[in-house]
Amino acid sequence: MPEKFKFAFMPSASCGGCEIAIVDIDEVILKVAELADIVYWPTVLDFKDKDLEAIPDGGVTVGFYNGAVRNTHDVYHAKLMRQKSQVLVAFGACAQMGGIPSLGNFWTTEEIAHRMYDTVPSVVNPEGTRPQTTFDAPEGELTLPRAMERSYALDQVVDVDYYLPGCPPQVKWIVAAVEAVASGELPPKGTVIAGTKAVCDECPRERSEEKQITEFKRIHLVENDPEKCLLEQGIMCCGPATRDGCEAACVVAGQGCRGCFGPTDNVNDMGAKLASAIASLVIADTQEEADRVLGQLDDPAGYFYRFGLAKSMLGVQRGERKDDDE
Amino acid sequence: MRKIEIDPISRLEGHGKIAIFLDDAGDVANAYLQIPELRGFEQFCVGRPVEEVPRITPRICGV
Ligand code: SF4
Ligand code: SF4
Ligand code: SF4
Repeated sequence: MPEKFKFAFMPSASCGGCEIAIVDIDEVILKVAELADIVYWPTVLDFKDKDLEAIPDGGVTVGFYNGAVRNTHDVYHAKLMRQKSQVLVAFGACAQMGGIPSLGNFWTTEEIAHRMYDTVPSVVNPEGTRPQTTFDAPEGELTLPRAMERSYALDQVVDVDYYLPGCPPQVKWIVAAVEAVASGELPPKGTVIAGTKAVCDECPRERSEEKQITEFKRIHLVENDPEKCLLEQGIMCCGPATRDGCEAACVVAGQGCRGCFGPTDNVNDMGAKLASAIASLVIADTQEEADRVLGQLDDPAGYFYRFGLAKSMLGVQRGERKDDDE
Repeated sequence: MRKIEIDPISRLEGHGKIAIFLDDAGDVANAYLQIPELRGFEQFCVGRPVEEVPRITPRICGV
């Protein structure tokens, strides 16, 4: 029998959903067990940094990194995973493009900290205590990593070989990735392991391809026609700019897509593509009328960059922008 | 004082570390639980449409 592969799973600024998705592959996990030994997975087994550090460089066949890069320890983990892994996979929307944590990139880390530690209603902190990277407790020193100035996608910190998109990635694409590793038939570097079209192409709702929107509506305030495209009914949906592969899961469940699979191959900036897709659906004779309709869309940046603000081309951060050293 | 550090606390989602200090007799003098993470949900939910919040906050913990 050939030597078994070695897999490592690294959680960073994540929610654990990506790791539940791995467990959700059900009996395929037996195939994984046949194919590979898990050499690092602290969410599931008692692994520490030293266990990964002890593996020779390149000793991990495939490293799966989930979560955004938010603090200095995440940066260390990203670099360590790159060093140890022959193939590094950005697993899930957070690793691919910042994910939900990168919504914080609208603010500086100081503004976020001020809210969290000073003004949030559930916090009483009259002395303004904040986390410190070192603290001299009476018994000895305590240390913490430092929060970076914003969230980063994995490939903004280290070189990435493949992307498994989604929040979390879906079972069929995790299985496809495992099968590609097993067969040795890996796709070209940089491939996003999912569909190659847009969510609209998989969506069962009917589109008329004609201009439709005369006003935007909030989904809970109207009854929508379950057969018809949400966007054409004036309900926000990110399907036109989002990569397919999820079988339009949210839309089938009655909600607009929020773009968790990231942009399609030919889209650089999700927001730019969505803005033009939406503008092309608006019925308006004058620019003022178009602006009035588009103005009804509350929080466009929060829709356009729901899962990908770290990779947006916009410089969106408010407040005094600081840069990270690395 | 001797320090035992458990970092990360494994087999859970979310990061945590524990520092336990032992005195000369080997008894626990004090222990600290530290949460090294910062996300900012408290801030970045502000201003979002309320119907969107149930699609954002599940990403605090997906287990
Ligand atoms: S991509 Fe989604 S499921 Fe995965 S860690 Fe990020 S928030 Fe959680
Ligand atoms: S915009 Fe949304 S609802 Fe309309 S076809 Fe595309 S995915 Fe379906
Ligand atoms: S419909 Fe959109 S938000 Fe929902 S799972 Fe698919 S890509 Fe993600």
